[in-house]
Amino acid sequence: MKGSVSHMIIDIHLHPVMFGAICQDQARVNFRKQHFGLYKSSPVPMEQVLAVMDHAGVDKSVLLAEDFSADMGQPLVSNQEIYTLIDIAPDRFIGFASVDPRQTDAVNKLQYAFKELNLSGLKLNLSHLQMMPSDSRLGEILAMCQEYEKPVTFHSGFSWEPNSPSKYGRPILYEDIAINYPNLRFCLAHLGWPWVDETMMMVLKYPNVYTDTATVYMDSPINYYDQIFMKNMAPGWLQNNLADKIMYGSNHPRFRQVRVREGLESLPLRQDVKQKIMGENAIRFLGMGGNV
Amino acid sequence: MIIKSYQNTISSRQEFEMIKITDKIDQAVKDSGVQNGLVFVITMHTTTSIMINESLPCVEKDIELLLERLVPSDYPYTHTHMLPSYGTCSGNSPGHLKSMLGGNHCVLPIKEGKLAVGSAQDIYFVELDGLKIRTYSIQVLGE
Repeated sequence: MKGSVSHMIIDIHLHPVMFGAICQDQARVNFRKQHFGLYKSSPVPMEQVLAVMDHAGVDKSVLLAEDFSADMGQPLVSNQEIYTLIDIAPDRFIGFASVDPRQTDAVNKLQYAFKELNLSGLKLNLSHLQMMPSDSRLGEILAMCQEYEKPVTFHSGFSWEPNSPSKYGRPILYEDIAINYPNLRFCLAHLGWPWVDETMMMVLKYPNVYTDTATVYMDSPINYYDQIFMKNMAPGWLQNNLADKIMYGSNHPRFRQVRVREGLESLPLRQDVKQKIMGENAIRFLGMGGNV
Repeated sequence: MIIKSYQNTISSRQEFEMIKITDKIDQAVKDSGVQNGLVFVITMHTTTSIMINESLPCVEKDIELLLERLVPSDYPYTHTHMLPSYGTCSGNSPGHLKSMLGGNHCVLPIKEGKLAVGSAQDIYFVELDGLKIRTYSIQVLGE
């Protein structure tokens, strides 16, 4: 591991759908490719996964489970699979669980993921689940996350996945969660694009709301982040108002870790601000302090 | 006529990497039993090349720098967007264009059962869009 804790590079948003250690069953690989919309990718050996992280200078990656079992019959990436991956490189991977809130045993599954698998947070994609953030089935789940001090990453904004309407990811719809669960840290992922202004309002107003940069849908990362942070916003907004709330996330394998990092590093920001975006904010979001 | 086919896999560790594969081709020629003929080395990818050149670090560096000058990493390429058919972002246009410049294959003669290369010639698999798991094929034809 290269960085000290304060200068650590953390990719807060990575989908391990093609990680070799959980791709030994071809039917499972095909299932993931179809439902994650990742049609031409192949499983990657774990040593290659770690080499790609090293190449990007990433110290730790947050691996996200995905569970839509109520209609798919099985998770896209299960909590147990995340646990398996962490066991391979516990100093490089941090795991987020996922549950399907439409299932009656979702709370029990989440408790098992937190207590027995020691996973560090929860990933929910309400677009894919086709659930509004106000859905009562989320209540007990979010209360548990708040009680256990486990952060939540919500997919936000446009969704690339099939059958995932973007309306469920609109950032403003998550404001009641920010109010009703003031001690629950949550991330509106992907900058909530295209509703970036709504996302910025949320992270500006609510101390418990964060966002991540896993959102390069047009252009190269260098041009995209310049457009988002230096043109669509006034150049000082990120540095002076939002610096504590934006986290480096690649959305790998949709985008490359190294390219997203290059795009962020190319922004004309102070070095201390870049360090916050590249890792310090993630440490605070994850609630890990010096124990990263 | 003997026709023998082989495939080798390579795990690249850099975005640009010249990986010498002369020994692998030499071995394939020996394994084929062909005494006189031709060997084709062909990459299976569109962001890699097969090259023949002299195995000197300075030459390898000049090749890398030439390709970077001709095809810079940061340029407003068209192939820079989400690809629905992949579910991933493109953004590797430099690799595609460098591959076109380097070519996808090489051909060498086989004489008396041996690969007939010049003393300064080595065969390279050239990674132009690493880090990736890569495959190239070797086709030996002759008698």
